[in-house]
Order: sequence, then structure tokens, then C-alpha cells
Amino acid sequence: MSTPARPPSRKRPSGNKALLATAMLLVAVASAFPLAWMVLSSLKTPAETMQVPPVWIPHTPTLDAYEKVAGVINVGRSMWNSLVIASVTTAGILVTSMMAGYAFAKYSFRGRSLLFSLLIATMFLPPIVTLIPLYRMVGSIGLNASLAGIIVPNLANAFGIFLMRQFIAGVPDDLIDAARMDGASELLILFKIVAPSVAPAIAALALFAFVYHWNSYLWPLTVLQGNADAYPIVISLSRLLSYNRGAVNTGLVMAGATLAVLPPLVLFVFLQRFFVDSIVGSAIKG
Amino acid sequence: MAKAFRASAGIMLAPAVTLIGVFVLLPMLLTIWLSFRDWSTQTPFSEASFVGLGNFQEILGPTSVGRDFKSALLNTAVYTALSVVLILPLSVVFGLMVYQREVAGGTALRTVLFSTYMVPMIAVALVWSKLYSPSEGPLNQLLGLVGIGPQPWLSSPRSALVSIVLLNGWQQVGYFTVLAVAGLTQIPGSLYEAATLDGASGQEQFRFITLPLLRRTLLFSAVIAIINAVQVFEPVALITQGGPVGSTNVLTYHIRRVGIERAQGGLGSAMAVMLMLSLIVCVSALFSLVNRKDGE
Repeated sequence: MSTPARPPSRKRPSGNKALLATAMLLVAVASAFPLAWMVLSSLKTPAETMQVPPVWIPHTPTLDAYEKVAGVINVGRSMWNSLVIASVTTAGILVTSMMAGYAFAKYSFRGRSLLFSLLIATMFLPPIVTLIPLYRMVGSIGLNASLAGIIVPNLANAFGIFLMRQFIAGVPDDLIDAARMDGASELLILFKIVAPSVAPAIAALALFAFVYHWNSYLWPLTVLQGNADAYPIVISLSRLLSYNRGAVNTGLVMAGATLAVLPPLVLFVFLQRFFVDSIVGSAIKG
Repeated sequence: MAKAFRASAGIMLAPAVTLIGVFVLLPMLLTIWLSFRDWSTQTPFSEASFVGLGNFQEILGPTSVGRDFKSALLNTAVYTALSVVLILPLSVVFGLMVYQREVAGGTALRTVLFSTYMVPMIAVALVWSKLYSPSEGPLNQLLGLVGIGPQPWLSSPRSALVSIVLLNGWQQVGYFTVLAVAGLTQIPGSLYEAATLDGASGQEQFRFITLPLLRRTLLFSAVIAIINAVQVFEPVALITQGGPVGSTNVLTYHIRRVGIERAQGGLGSAMAVMLMLSLIVCVSALFSLVNRKDGE
């Protein structure tokens, strides 16, 4: 998890340095621009959002658009739904992934590598391939149009198992054996001994799962079938676009988008090291 | 020690294996089963009647169902190819910018690039639909500053799909940059030292050291990029609805429309099977290409 040593810096003429610095700045600006535009537009008056050429910085910043969003969609309810979906799903993924990851990393049993390969293969299965029968299955067990219908099918996934196995494999066997000598049960060993030693990986998986399920759209849209009470914020957002279609609602849409973006973005800015670790862990530890 | 814990292995694996078995593997098998059946999504699975290859004949045939599917397949192929061609080279260039010591700010750049990956795709789609707006949208205004005329972006069948590739590329490139950096950290610094002593230029070092040793990373990135690309849904569902003139009707959108909205579960499943087969062919081709080069 530590930063590997970088190659020693090579001597370059200083002209290249200026060029590189300029290029880096341009990339950063281009990357940040749409988000900056989103936030700035959410603070504009309706007239300003329609002006040609565009107003870059609002002259009289106003929160009117945010008030209007609250009039069109139930912001509090949607945010709460998103929070429930993302956190319950994440909790489930953590538990199931740690248990399975521990089994794959530390037990040997017949068919281990076959089962592992089978599970990992599902990591590469685009959700659309299973969407139609899954929709029917969830409906026939009475979970459609509910938060449970969104959550239950996502309580385990291959990426989590894979990531946990990668990191738990690095926990010394001696540590586990010592706990077994003391008579600790396997679940106790997993949650009291193994989990603390892979805490950064658990944090990484938790953040990744939370953001992924906060942002996910296709499955909730399919399951909920118009039950607005259960809409997560990303589904409510799409209703802003159809409301009063046209340029007039630009500020409204931007304010709604800003609200939906904030939780995952804030989480990321404070905890980005863990996000990067989880990607790197999935890419090179295999 | 391991053998004594066979029972524990069962307990530890049960939750994950059951959930993935029931909610991923079973529906996958059902998709294949349904692809040979005539079935309305509104009815129980037991009412699906066997039609052999009928669904496949229809989606590959000359009727309007066939035309729509084939154009969705083509759109997805073009979209995927353009996405990979856009994202992979950029991720290497940005990765090199992040992973260097000559100029400070690499980590800050990574933060900015990767933050876009946290933005819900639905918000990305909404924001970019406004950025692309022909008159008051900032993109055409910026192009005007450098003397390029206004582009139709999402409103023309010629440019709509490319416009969606661009907005998707903007969102995802940070993720692939992190993958590229992970690959770069695996390359031993001693190789560059030796090359520098031998008088190799920066370009030569990139071509003969960096690029060959990034091959595995690039393969992994390409596979992920392909899998991600076939999942594009939100910008199409929300902004273009497959148009103009079907130019952005991609598979995920089309399969959902046929299988869920029109409740033609058998046809939709056959389309999903075709998508799965295309992916398998595509990814195996990539792997054999890379492995053959490894053998050289």
C-alpha cells in the first residue's frame, strides 16, 4: 500500500519543464471546467443562464434555483433514499466480501480455483445481460417498486471478493494460527484479527461501493417503475429535466445536479487515497 | 492446517456464493434460456414457449426489429471503439504527467482528473447537455474564440454519438489514468537509468521501455473500457432517447426498451446473448493479440 520508489528524475532542459507545467494546467482546467460550470450555473438567475454569449460568473449569485428544486422534487426524501441504498448495500458487500475473501485467501478446499474463477467472471458481466430476468425475479418475490428490490440483488459482488482476497492473502498465517490456538472462532478471527490488519482495503472497498451505488441509475430506474417515494436522488434528477423542458430550467437542473454530486465528491476529496488504493489493488496485485 | 477448515469454508462462502448465484449467475442462465423462447416480461417464466432460433432469426433478419438491433449493435461497436481509442492514449499521457518529478503537482492533477469519476453519470449527462447547447452553451462559445464555427453536437446524427463518447471519456479518463500510474510504478527505475547512460532520448525510452512494459496494464484497461462502454445508458436515456435518427441507439438502451418497456422478454434476451457473445469474441481477440506479442 506504500508508494513505491519513483524512477530517479532524469535531467531535462528547463524549456520542457515550462511546457509540461502548461500542459498539466490545461488538462486540469479542462477536467474541472464542466463541474465549475455546473456550480456557477446553479447560482445564476434564469435570464443569465440563457444569455448569449454565456455569462461565465453570475453577477448576482442567488440560491433561487435550489429553492425551486425543492419545489419540484422531494430533495430530503430522495437524498435519504440514496443514503439508505448506498449504505445498506455497502454494509452487505463488506460482510460478504470479507467472508468469501478470507475463505479464498486462507482455506484450501476442493474446487477453490474453479469457484473463484466463476465468481470473478461475473465481474466482467455487464448488468444489462441479466436485467430482464432479474427484473422479473425481483418482481415475483414481491420486491419491485421498493428500496429492498434495489438493495438485495447487490449485497455481494465479485469485485469485493477479489479485492478482499488480494489483501487478506497478505495477512501472516502465524497471526491467524495463534488466534486459533487460543480457541477463537473463525468469524471472530476474521472480524477481530484479519479485518483490522486490512483496514485500508476495507475502507477502499466501502468507499467504492458507496459511491457506485449512490450513483447507479439503470437498476433503480427499472425496479422502481414510477414509485416516486422510493426514488434515489439520481432518478429524481431526471425528473427535473422533463419539468418545464427547455433552456429556462438550466439553473434548476444544475442545482439538482450539484446536490446529487456533492456527497460522493466530498467523500472522495477527503478519502481519495483509499479510492486510488482500491483501483491499484485490483489492477496490479493480481 | 487448511484441511480442518472445510466446514468453515462453506459457512464463509455461503452468503456471497448464494447471492451471486441467485442474482447474477441464475439470471444469466435465464437470459440464455429465454433467448430461445417467446416470452412476455409481464408473465411468469413458466409461460415462455420454445421457439428455437426464432428470436435470433428475427433480430438478425431484415424486418424493422432486425434493422433496429443491428444498428444498435453497430452503434455500440463504434461507440466502444471510439471510447477505447480516446481513453487509452490519454490515460497514458496523463499517467506520465502524474507520475513524474520534474514538475510539482502530479498528485493534484490526479485528484482533479479522478474527481470526475465520482460524479453520477446522470449528472454528467445533464451538465454536458447544457455545455453542448448550440447557442448559449459554452463549448461552441469557446470554439468561437479559436475561430471554429458552432457544432451541432447532440442534435445532428453525424455528431451525436461522438458527443456522447466525449462526455463519457471526460468522466472516465481519471480512472484509467490511475490504472496507468499503477502500471508505471511497476517499471523498474533502473531500466531508465541504464537507457539514459546508453544515451537513449526520452522518446526512445518511452517507445522501447515504457510502452512495452505497460502492455499488460493497457490490456486490462482496454477490457475494462470495453465493458464500461457497452453499459452507456444515462446520456442516451435522458438526452437523446436514441436519436437523432437512431444514431445514439446503443445496446443497453435498446435491450432495456425492448425487454422491459415493450415487455418482449424473449427478443430482449436474444439481444443480450448476442451482446455477451460479441464481448467474449472481442475480449478473447484482445488477449490472443497481446499473448502473441508476448511470445515474440
